[in-house]
Amino acid sequence: MQRGGRGDGDDEMEEEEAPTHLNTSTCGHFLVITTDKLCAKYTGEGLHGNDVGVIQGNQAAPCHRLLYYFEITVKDRGLKGYIGIGFTDEHFRNSRQPGWEPNSYGYHGDDGKLYHGQGKGHVFGPTFTTGDTVGAGINYASQEIFFTKNGKMVGATFKDVKTALYPTIGLHSPNEKVEVNFGQRQFVYDVEALVQEERERRHRAVENVHLPPSASHSIVRAYLLHYGYHDTLAAFDAASGGSFPPVVCTPHEDGNNGTLDDDSFALDQRKVLRRLARDGDVDSVFAKLREWYPQQLQQEHDSNIIFLLHCQKFIELVKSGMLEGAVTYARTELAHFFGASLDQDLHLQDCLALLAYERPQESPMAYLLHFGQREVVADAVNAFVLATNPSLPASGKSPQSGLEKLLRQLTACHVEKRLLNGGQGEVFSLHRILQGGKDGGW
Amino acid sequence: MRVCVIYPKSSSKKVITKEEWEKKLSEVKIRKEDMNKLVMNFLVTEGYVEAAEKFQMESGTQPDIDLGTITDRMAVRKAVQCGQVEDAIEKVNDLNPEILDTNPQLFFHLQQQRLIELIRSGQVEEALEFAQEELAPRGEENHAFLEELERTVALLAFEDTANCPVGELLDISQRQKTASELNAAILTSQSHEKDPKLPSLLKMLIWAQNQLDEKASYPRINDLVNATLEEPVT
Repeated sequence: MQRGGRGDGDDEMEEEEAPTHLNTSTCGHFLVITTDKLCAKYTGEGLHGNDVGVIQGNQAAPCHRLLYYFEITVKDRGLKGYIGIGFTDEHFRNSRQPGWEPNSYGYHGDDGKLYHGQGKGHVFGPTFTTGDTVGAGINYASQEIFFTKNGKMVGATFKDVKTALYPTIGLHSPNEKVEVNFGQRQFVYDVEALVQEERERRHRAVENVHLPPSASHSIVRAYLLHYGYHDTLAAFDAASGGSFPPVVCTPHEDGNNGTLDDDSFALDQRKVLRRLARDGDVDSVFAKLREWYPQQLQQEHDSNIIFLLHCQKFIELVKSGMLEGAVTYARTELAHFFGASLDQDLHLQDCLALLAYERPQESPMAYLLHFGQREVVADAVNAFVLATNPSLPASGKSPQSGLEKLLRQLTACHVEKRLLNGGQGEVFSLHRILQGGKDGGW
Repeated sequence: MRVCVIYPKSSSKKVITKEEWEKKLSEVKIRKEDMNKLVMNFLVTEGYVEAAEKFQMESGTQPDIDLGTITDRMAVRKAVQCGQVEDAIEKVNDLNPEILDTNPQLFFHLQQQRLIELIRSGQVEEALEFAQEELAPRGEENHAFLEELERTVALLAFEDTANCPVGELLDISQRQKTASELNAAILTSQSHEKDPKLPSLLKMLIWAQNQLDEKASYPRINDLVNATLEEPVT
């Protein structure tokens, strides 16, 4: 059941923590870290493969975004310049170079090679040394790990590790010293341009998709039909009559009428009911339903639609200041709904709570008094009538408009794709896109 | 330059049955207000002013722009579509003189359209005078404009304009093109997006389905108008 205004925020959209400094508590033995936790110096001797000085960022790379990026600047290449930058997982051994162990990636300064999960590297890019600034990033959209040197892209590799990754540096010869930039200063590489480029590439790909010419028009028209917005539909048809083809309805071979006819089912009744519900005239809605759908109404005796209508009647009584009438109504018509379902109980509680406020329109339940709540009831009544269509498959589902089905499909595709990427990448939010924001995964 | 080092072939596709997919679909939360907003945005951007007014009353959805401005915008659009370019220019300037002041390309296209209309109605002398006095100076400033001007003036050289190489300029679609450009500029000046959101979302849907196709087999929607779920291809 749809529940209005309260606590209806976007889930999953909370800001993620990003690394801000080096994590000194899991730091390897062979490093000293400055007090600002942004500089590391190697103090070991670099004698064998297990005395690397490794340190990670204090947080995993945040993943509910298009990409993550950080940089190091080599202050001193030390004796041999055995400096590695990359990403490692939570369980990484802090005595090994990033890239040498499973679930890690590293770009190494001495040979310019890329290491991933083994001690043998692949030819990758240039070496780096004192004075160079090197960056490592994760592109969640393309599922790649990429590296930069002095503001230029070096290259990328496929990110097959789907668990959380930490920004990591490894030092391995005397006097090596690097400074890390987690974004507290401007990066040398223009990472914003990369984000922009990635968005534009996606935008172009989407814009290049071909649409059937009158698809939007047909979908809007079917939506108006589905919800019984009769006057809008009439104005829409009148305005588009000449210049647009009528809705293309290809009859199915098996004689199935398809959704368009389902959308116009009982339009005359639905338009009347919607108008009554919109005016808050619950009594007349009840009367018409009894007149037109006596049997179905009988079957739905305790159902949500009846419940919502009774609640709305109560709300309208409160609205018009007839509090005593409201109390009486609640006792006779509402009380017995308690305990039917959690959703209904919550809605009922909100409705009854209106009585507790001297000025209910300023209370947390004020949303019930808004036009939007009448719209909720009107939609429920509309869905009830649509469900009486005998040509519908008896699947027990409430009929949905074509637009709703398309938007569900759109969201489900994004959710699924993100799921297959290990839950990484931007979170798609239709709501935010419709708010006109540039975010929302777009 | 961008170098890609290791790129393993993606493993076999995940198969999602219709039943599983329908469950996922039912878990998606779609707000009615959002759908209403989307429809209102379409009506407003496409200029269905009366439908937008009715929709505001019937659904309680607030339009994202002053509905009065739609009427003005549609009047401008209609003027261009009927070939009354001078009238359209006057109306735009009444609406907001900055639109044409800050948009030399649009202004040139409108003047070009005016020239086309003069040629269409056989006013050869007026057309030449207009081209020389109004369009040529602009062509000197901008090479692309000059080429357009030359192409347009070439219409005068043909007796049978219907079958000449630049005949498309006389086509009704040229008016539509100019009208759309003007419509978009007016919307932008009103801090409104120039295109409705619905077609973009539909394109996004097709794109997202194609993207997911690479990783999974699942029920697609190919018929946008009827929104029917196909069986997953296995």
